[in-house]
Amino acid sequence: MSFDYYPIFASTHLALGSAACALITALLLDHVLGEPKRWHPLVGFGWLANKTENMMNKFASPLGLRISGLFAWLLLLAPFMAISYVLSQGILGWIIDVLLLYFSVGARSLGLHAKQIEAPLTQGNLAAARHAVGMIVSRDTTQLNATEISTATVESVLENGNDAIFGAIFWFLLLGGTGALMFRLANTLDAMWGYRTPRFQYFGWAAARLDDLLNLIPARLTALSYALCGHTRTAIQCWHSQAHTWYSPNAGPVMAAGAGAMQVKLGGAASYYSQIKQRPVLGLGQSPAPKHILSAIKLVNRSIILWCACIVIATLIRGLYFA
Amino acid sequence: MLEHGGNLAQAATKFGIPLENWLDLSTGINPVGYPVPAIPAQIWQRLPMDDDGLLDAARNYYSCQHIMATAGSQAALQVLPTLRKPCVVAVLDPMYKEHAHAWRSHGHEVRTFTGLQDEAALNSADVVLLCNPNNPSAAKFDPTDLLDLHTMLQKRGGWLIVDEAFVDCTPQQSIGQFTHLDGLFVLRSLGKFFGLAGLRVGFLLAQQAHLNQVQQVIGPWSISGASRYITKFALADIAWQQTTRARLKTDSQCLATLLQTYGLNPDNGTMLFQLVYTPHFEKLHQHLAEHGIWVRLFKELGALRFGLPPEHGWQKLEGALKKLPF
Repeated sequence: MSFDYYPIFASTHLALGSAACALITALLLDHVLGEPKRWHPLVGFGWLANKTENMMNKFASPLGLRISGLFAWLLLLAPFMAISYVLSQGILGWIIDVLLLYFSVGARSLGLHAKQIEAPLTQGNLAAARHAVGMIVSRDTTQLNATEISTATVESVLENGNDAIFGAIFWFLLLGGTGALMFRLANTLDAMWGYRTPRFQYFGWAAARLDDLLNLIPARLTALSYALCGHTRTAIQCWHSQAHTWYSPNAGPVMAAGAGAMQVKLGGAASYYSQIKQRPVLGLGQSPAPKHILSAIKLVNRSIILWCACIVIATLIRGLYFA
Repeated sequence: MLEHGGNLAQAATKFGIPLENWLDLSTGINPVGYPVPAIPAQIWQRLPMDDDGLLDAARNYYSCQHIMATAGSQAALQVLPTLRKPCVVAVLDPMYKEHAHAWRSHGHEVRTFTGLQDEAALNSADVVLLCNPNNPSAAKFDPTDLLDLHTMLQKRGGWLIVDEAFVDCTPQQSIGQFTHLDGLFVLRSLGKFFGLAGLRVGFLLAQQAHLNQVQQVIGPWSISGASRYITKFALADIAWQQTTRARLKTDSQCLATLLQTYGLNPDNGTMLFQLVYTPHFEKLHQHLAEHGIWVRLFKELGALRFGLPPEHGWQKLEGALKKLPF
């Protein structure tokens, strides 16, 4: 069983060591190579998901739509998970696992996108910064000022720290490369279908709820690591007192703890095309300046190192225990 | 009625200097107030409406979810003691005196505490009251510490009330965004930073249930339509706020430097006032008054509070400081 080398199922101390090595190798690959430039597998998956949705988003009743949305989710994920599972059982299983995790994490691209906003913003080129921030948020960015751009970017970095990094690592540690892949694909489907628009209100229900479920523990571990890597006391306070005010049960803890850890103020008023939306405030202190975008990236990077350190230490302790 | 510091008319008679010749530095009010817009005629003719956009502007400016406008923070601070059965109230000392007065008047037992390290006083209190930054001591409290204090109080059904009348220059010190929590009250005012003390507009930030109780007592239309109109503009004018913060920062540094130059070392300050402890406080107060400069004397502290002079006032202040008798 290849599951043997992941902690939950591990029976020998070698297994966890193997998982730790795979994790660090995959993160190093991401750090050096970044996302595949020419042919990204998710583009193909997105095309497939659109086709599936066109075919299956047809039932008249809300219940029918919900069920067909659930089936569409299973239909899209099952084959990829089955293939990745079979491949990871083979002789090259370890390499396959590393590649699956590498494909599922996007630490470098998260940092790059944020820096593409920070650089023009620091130089005072508001137009370029607005354009760049428009690529990562679904909001009206044409009127944003420097503070609003910084706020939107810091929010996005903190939230995506969970979605693009820690969630994938968590499921990798639990279920191997197949787990990381499952998380990534479920996250993609949530991003495509998880909206309360007439078209997706019922069909996207399963994708949104399953994504919430898969993020339940990772989001809290992410929040905890942000807290430990920043102003811990403030982060815990903000998590405790503000997280539940936010719209999403998982983004709440992540962003509140992150904002507290950085001692900046996130949330608040934001314009969504036609109207201003009064969002709850997360964190405390001043609204972010452009330099806080770099602080947010650093916070995520420190958290990655913390996760790696914890896993290596767990491996060593286990090694000593079985020696 | 408590006596307040800004009583310039009495001073004018006592020192025989006509009112218009005084440089009044006795308050911590921004000398360059918000430029009040012209009031449309219908504002005077109609009853003020709740949906005039004031509360949205206020929620945005104060970063909070639930808020109500009151006739100055005085109106709110007078109602809060009526919402609890007699209990033990710990009030920061020294502090703006109206709070303790209001709680004492409603039969509460008012004790004082000197700072957050004064755990004995804080642990035995049901309600803790403080100003951040404090007036007149200019003591500043870390939001994180205040939230810890609130958590401790809230566990036993206690309240934390923070008067943030002077926080507008340093909004990062505010805990307004946490007022959705039970038992946390924040008072804000248009008087100091916006320089609109005459407008008599303040805000109470708290859970909606508490705001409803206060509203019951105060009743409808407690703020005039014109005040609401002006306030809405002031709160939404981010450009003016940013310029003003920058100017007040420079001016407060100038004031501190000026006082230092003449041997008066400000012990502490906010961007709106400097507090000077000196053994010669009475002599200094007298000397400045003789030169037509009115500062606030705190006898019990042995200190004087200097507000920021308006542009034409700096020379007059420096002139008087040059002739200090000690």
